[in-house]
Amino acid sequence: MTLDQKPARAEGRKDPWSQMLEKVGKNQDRQAYHALFEHFGPQIKYYAMANGLASHAEELVQEVFVSIWRRSCLYDWRKAAASTWIFTIARNQRIDMLRKMKRTSAEMPVETEDLWQIPGENDDEPVTSLHRLMSERRVRESLSHLPEEQTTVIAKVYMESKSHQMVADELNIPLGTVKSRVRLALNKLKVILQDQNV
Amino acid sequence: MTKHHPDTLILMEYSAGNLSEPHALCIRLHLDQCPHCRSRVDTLDSLGAVMMESQPQVGVSSDMFDSILSRIDSEPNMTEEYISTRAKRVGPLQKLLGEDLNSLPWKRQLGDVSVLDISERFPGQSEQVVLQKLAAGGKAPAHTHRGDETTIVLQGAFADQKGVFNQWDFVVLNQDDDHKPVAVGCEDCITLSVLSAPVKLTGTFTRLLNPFIR
Repeated sequence: MTLDQKPARAEGRKDPWSQMLEKVGKNQDRQAYHALFEHFGPQIKYYAMANGLASHAEELVQEVFVSIWRRSCLYDWRKAAASTWIFTIARNQRIDMLRKMKRTSAEMPVETEDLWQIPGENDDEPVTSLHRLMSERRVRESLSHLPEEQTTVIAKVYMESKSHQMVADELNIPLGTVKSRVRLALNKLKVILQDQNV
Repeated sequence: MTKHHPDTLILMEYSAGNLSEPHALCIRLHLDQCPHCRSRVDTLDSLGAVMMESQPQVGVSSDMFDSILSRIDSEPNMTEEYISTRAKRVGPLQKLLGEDLNSLPWKRQLGDVSVLDISERFPGQSEQVVLQKLAAGGKAPAHTHRGDETTIVLQGAFADQKGVFNQWDFVVLNQDDDHKPVAVGCEDCITLSVLSAPVKLTGTFTRLLNPFIR
């Protein structure tokens, strides 16, 4: 009886997208795959456009979804929420596309995924479900309370792949101001190490 | 357990995918050995996901899903192939440098220091990427850095005014750091450094290029 209860309780913490992604991984469920496409496709297309890949935006969406299909059997909802997992795939496909535009594969001894990892795909990674799911929920919750000047800076770093220096130039504010806005935000998101002097 | 970690802002640029390849390599090598920073990156990746979902959305063409389906149908074994390639994968460091760091074609630089420039393994990058080896117990001449220098310890340990840096420790030095590293422990100390500008010697030596000496 207790054995039956455990998975049921765990199931309760899973968000709907993570459940769908798991169905794709376990059963090659095309209906769930389509639902994920409808939800994340338009987000990824905007992500590509904001990142300067406007003429390749649909190509990027395709690559991301083929990659999701290819590796969905490795997806483990206890290690990352679907949205986080899909974001990292979109990020890696964007990096990969830009790298391939610049050179041939013979010139790339190290693959994109050797450098940027997809969460949960490291076999030796411990399962820390509760921590990760809480962190995702906490991020969403805390982000809604951040002042706009902080979220603007973070959006430029994540959505437009701008360095802190580029954000400073664009907003015409000192680099130190950009950095302190990011630190304030990350502090609230509890990303900053407590023992770190920042 | 590592004691010197990348700053949160660097981890954020990593999570956003904005770092150059050599810098990303330094972070990746640290993350592989540091659960603490890996968990910070997990949170930052979630931040990326939440940022992406809070932005505007752009409709995709109506036939795109069908073309995705026909692509996955045309490669029915893609998952199996992916998993078997993945099983054979070696770490980025081995891929770049092989199994034994000590037997690389090191170039003796000066006194206890040897270097190996591996910048050409990262084509199209403007940074200089250098491996440096400080013989066990050896000292590097005092020097400062003109730009930022990101270093990760791959083997052994070194010490300077700021403390002891052990394997997988991560440190960024800049023009304010005038340091005189010493290899501690019984192993040669090997580091991987990414330099945005050449090093400037502060001692009597006039010309040197590398992390212990860049």
